[in-house]
Amino acid sequence: MGRLFSTVLVFLLGIFLALNQAVSGQESKVDFNRDIRPVLAENCFSCHGPDQSQRKAGLRLDKENEAKANRKGTTAIVPGAPGKSELISRIQSADSAEIMPPPKSGKKLSPDQIQGLSQWVKQGAQWSQHWAHEKPILRQAPSTKNKEWSRNWVDKWLLWKIENAGLSPSPDAVKTTLIRRVYFDVIGLPPPPEAVEIFLKDTSPKALEKVVDQLLKSEHFGERMAMYWLDLVRFADTVGYHGDQDHHASPYRDYVIDAFNRNLSFAQFTIEQLAGDLLPKPNSDQLIATCYNRLLQTSHEGGVQAKEYLAIYSADRVRNFSAVWLGGTLGCAQCHDHKFDPYTTKDFYSLAAFFADIDEAKHLKGGADSIPTKRLPEVALHSSRELAQIEKWKAALAQLENDPQGNHQAEIGKTKEKLKELEKSKRLVMVTQAITPRTIRVLPRGNWLDDTGEVVAPAVPQFLGKAPVKEKTQTRLDLANWLFDTKEGVAELTARVFVNRVWSLFFGNGLARNLDDFGAQGEFPVHPELLDNLALEFQNSGWDVKALIRLIVLSRAYSQSSTWTADLLAKDPNNRLFARQSSFRLPAEMIRDNALAISGLLVSEFGGGSIKPYQPAGYYRHLNFPKREYVPHADARQWRRGVYIHWQRQFLHPMLKAFDAPTREECTAKRQQSNTPLSALVLMNDPTFVEAARIMAFGASKESAENDEVRMQKCFLRVTSRNPEKKETEVLLKVLAQARQEFRAQPALAEKLLQTGLAKITGQIDSVELASWVSVCRVLLNLAETNFRN
Amino acid sequence: MNRSLARRTFLNQSGLGLGSVALGEFLQGQANAQSGKSPPQKGLPGFPNYPARAKRVIYLYMSGGPSQFETFDYKPKMKEMDGKPMPESFTKGQPIAQLQGQALKVQGHLAGFKQYGKSGQWVSEFLPWTAKMADEICVIRSMVTEQINHDPAHTFMNTGTGISGRPSMGSWVTYGLGNETENLPGFVVLTSVGGRNPQPISSRQWDAGFLPPKFQGVEFNSTGEPASYVANPPGVSPNLQKGLVDAVRVLDAKRNEQVKNPDIESRLAAYELAFRMQTAVPELMDISKEPQKVLEMYGAKPADGSFASNCLLAVRLAERGVRFIQLYHRGWDHHGDLVRYMGICSDLTDRPAFALIQDLKRRGLLDDTLVIWGGEFGRTPMFQGKGGPGRDHHIKAFSMWMAGAGIKSGVSHGETDELGYHASKDVVHVRDMHATMLHLLGVDHTRLAVKYQGLNLRLTGVEPARVVKEILT
Repeated sequence: MGRLFSTVLVFLLGIFLALNQAVSGQESKVDFNRDIRPVLAENCFSCHGPDQSQRKAGLRLDKENEAKANRKGTTAIVPGAPGKSELISRIQSADSAEIMPPPKSGKKLSPDQIQGLSQWVKQGAQWSQHWAHEKPILRQAPSTKNKEWSRNWVDKWLLWKIENAGLSPSPDAVKTTLIRRVYFDVIGLPPPPEAVEIFLKDTSPKALEKVVDQLLKSEHFGERMAMYWLDLVRFADTVGYHGDQDHHASPYRDYVIDAFNRNLSFAQFTIEQLAGDLLPKPNSDQLIATCYNRLLQTSHEGGVQAKEYLAIYSADRVRNFSAVWLGGTLGCAQCHDHKFDPYTTKDFYSLAAFFADIDEAKHLKGGADSIPTKRLPEVALHSSRELAQIEKWKAALAQLENDPQGNHQAEIGKTKEKLKELEKSKRLVMVTQAITPRTIRVLPRGNWLDDTGEVVAPAVPQFLGKAPVKEKTQTRLDLANWLFDTKEGVAELTARVFVNRVWSLFFGNGLARNLDDFGAQGEFPVHPELLDNLALEFQNSGWDVKALIRLIVLSRAYSQSSTWTADLLAKDPNNRLFARQSSFRLPAEMIRDNALAISGLLVSEFGGGSIKPYQPAGYYRHLNFPKREYVPHADARQWRRGVYIHWQRQFLHPMLKAFDAPTREECTAKRQQSNTPLSALVLMNDPTFVEAARIMAFGASKESAENDEVRMQKCFLRVTSRNPEKKETEVLLKVLAQARQEFRAQPALAEKLLQTGLAKITGQIDSVELASWVSVCRVLLNLAETNFRN
Repeated sequence: MNRSLARRTFLNQSGLGLGSVALGEFLQGQANAQSGKSPPQKGLPGFPNYPARAKRVIYLYMSGGPSQFETFDYKPKMKEMDGKPMPESFTKGQPIAQLQGQALKVQGHLAGFKQYGKSGQWVSEFLPWTAKMADEICVIRSMVTEQINHDPAHTFMNTGTGISGRPSMGSWVTYGLGNETENLPGFVVLTSVGGRNPQPISSRQWDAGFLPPKFQGVEFNSTGEPASYVANPPGVSPNLQKGLVDAVRVLDAKRNEQVKNPDIESRLAAYELAFRMQTAVPELMDISKEPQKVLEMYGAKPADGSFASNCLLAVRLAERGVRFIQLYHRGWDHHGDLVRYMGICSDLTDRPAFALIQDLKRRGLLDDTLVIWGGEFGRTPMFQGKGGPGRDHHIKAFSMWMAGAGIKSGVSHGETDELGYHASKDVVHVRDMHATMLHLLGVDHTRLAVKYQGLNLRLTGVEPARVVKEILT
């Protein structure tokens, strides 16, 4: 083990160095943001950083002027003179009492890091602002050796780094892989066989573009984007704490889907959520959007102290706001100044003060142990989409009724009925209503019982500047506008954070790896210039989300194969350079949607109350106040998309949970990717997937008489969009043979298997034969290839 | 080497960054690959940090908050003060739950106390079986916590913070130390009810938080289906299911020759473990073959879903190498009618806990199993009357006990003030309990850390935490 350990270690170090060189290319100049800040942050900031209470010797290394100041004859950093710099002599000291970082901190600088720091000081100790807060510069794309490969400027930036590393981009993915990729990425569903066929036949250079444009127009696009957004804002159908009762939030989910479909600008989308109620004459959607401020976890437990929970809610909102829009990790500033980033405790409470006008008193007084619970203020509303539909039908009705020629009684009746139903279908939704703001104080060490802290007014974090000053107390609307203000606000940060996340949806990883931390501890992006340009492009386009996605998806880089090569593996094992695409398991909701779509069970209906798929009996037995029983929907809702599943925070549907969907108690910017036995058990045994296999097999059986091999090929094609190889068909035929043998011996077992799920099949059925094919389809639905995006 | 690099990269992409921990996991994978074995959950290299006293933990979680004044904390002064106003010097400025705005009166003990065993530990008459093992347990009477409502208090007890989304202690332990069985998860949760209207308990309490999801607690049920989705679909024989697993493995492996995705390798392993679990879990959960004598010792009946059955199952899990076993009994929230509900809870749990300790001893497991008993907080010395006399939530003092590996037996640790309001001597914070538990498992609590959102996070957090050396042998 010892030898193995050291061999591998040496090997890995080699890789690190090679990668480092590869990535930094020929540039020998030390870059503060890339090479120095992370080292200082990791090793020095906890004692010499922003947190005043932990600071040793009064020295700060996170601020240039203080790090370079002469302090009683010694200076930590003397530009150009490592020999005179206390910092350099201390990190190189042989004296255990002198050396920094001190041994008891458990931290130690590597020889490379020491060398880097000295070199940086020697080169002048140039400081720069944290990369995420620097003004982005729109740069001309660099020229590359390969002039053919790039399709747009995104490619040129990527190719430039790839070439510098002595690598080449991967070849284009085969077309079946590509169309599956783009379907899953843009709408979260597999391509129907006809779409695959058209795409394979279309040899024009615009073939992909046509598909992408069509997908961006699909209503399923909004559903796919919502899956991600709802993780960020921690949308759920239940309150989260204690009794975890249902609350009224589903109209907000529909608003999000619709907003992405309408391509609402990201700025407007944000403003409506944070402050729709403060807009002049807000429309229905703008009020529904303010449900954002109410999505946090709340408690309806007997004996909660209002004062304590107001503090908890307040902190929750600050954490979520900063995580969603600033990529900031402000949570720790609730009790002490941030250890690595210049966020202070005062910043934390000043941000909280923006949300102090949200009416909370009603719900704290009127908590109810009922399903749903009451979380006032709630209002019954039609969405703007529904209102438009009502108008449309009304107009159609008028036309029908006024048609002098017509005898449209039947149609008139039908329309009237639809209209009546829709008019009745207003749903309650929690909204934000502003009241006189509560007084917000800094809570010393986060202690809500302590009233000695300073009273604070709404203000943005001090180091990020100021929201434009007006002659009044700032509001949520000012905060929202500040996010998109290119002059006095943080538009560049907002843009970088969002663009990076969108990128990760289409490449599997962000340009900056830490989607949730744009602070000193977050990794410096390998492509800062590209991130800058994308951020500026996004801003200049008027925060046009679809245009951003189109740009990314139509890059050549997006179309690359995701397959590893030995060269890439050796030189860029983490795919920092994006010299290949990524291959990863589909998100939980898509695992479901995919199986339903393949089988033909999928019901593509938009919006509405949340749906309840089959779930193991007794799964909610630990819930109480009130006790509840889960009743799966027995109608078409059973087969709707995953984005609509009832999101029970305390007991998330076990299928979603097994595939790493978050409980949405806090912001999730990147889901985990696991392969647990529990997820295997779901795909093998969850009735939803067994039913999908049953209906898929039934569908295949209806096709004209054909031999096993042909039918097998069709099933395989249906699931993977490609033809099976001979060996694959053989393996599956073996499964078929085994199943036939078993079910022939015990036909009752076949009958039992065919009972799974509510979906009906009609007509003459050979149970043994059908059950045998169900067994084959179960294998197909369990394959990695079926459940991965490549 | 390609394969190993791919594995490493996969780890990096798992969101845990490049820390020593990910590197370690990779190296472990290397070692396993060389030896040709693939244990499902090995621990981190370097862990345990020093020789472990305990190999596993059985945590008897008395959910709802049992009263220390009717279990272990005997306060003669309370009797004198019974019914009199609680002096404000104790309560002023302190957090309070359901008694907000009410007159605070002292509630004397609602049960008799006696000293037991050679050690002379004080135990109430509610716990006659625990009294019998007074010389085998260590009672901590000076526990304190920070959260006064059930939900956040559970979260605090299990994760060290009231904020949702952090890993639970069982996840931390299995993450650091791995698992000793190839057929079962490393962290198993069992629940039972009985007592006052049971408080809810969220799956957050056994979640892995930002640790890899394979370290989350898995809930087994002693009644009904033994675990979610563990049964084959109706009509599918074990043989046919095996056919499915084999076909998936062959097809995935074949495809992976082309796509070379390391994720698919771990997926293959997951299918194997899933299939083994389908046999192992029902076998484990079926206690009907245990000798009648053993069942009687616990008071367990097969498939009755009782705490007694769960205690027996805990021993069976321990025997099979499961690292962290947590048993919740929900029913200890006694705001009113305390005597009646305390009676029910004690009847359901007292004897099984005793049997558990004896059975562990009998099977030679007590020496390396740490047993912990306790709730998320305690109860007030003040009266609350929802129905008959009861007590409200209390966080400034409560009692727990520990036994087994490395724990001194027949010892009481810590004291409370004369009315039992504040822990006054040798105060043990929840964090100290966590540090002590990890210490017994051979883990330095400051070293079991994971970088998440720029911070080095650990079970014991950033505030000071100390190993309670005084209770260790």
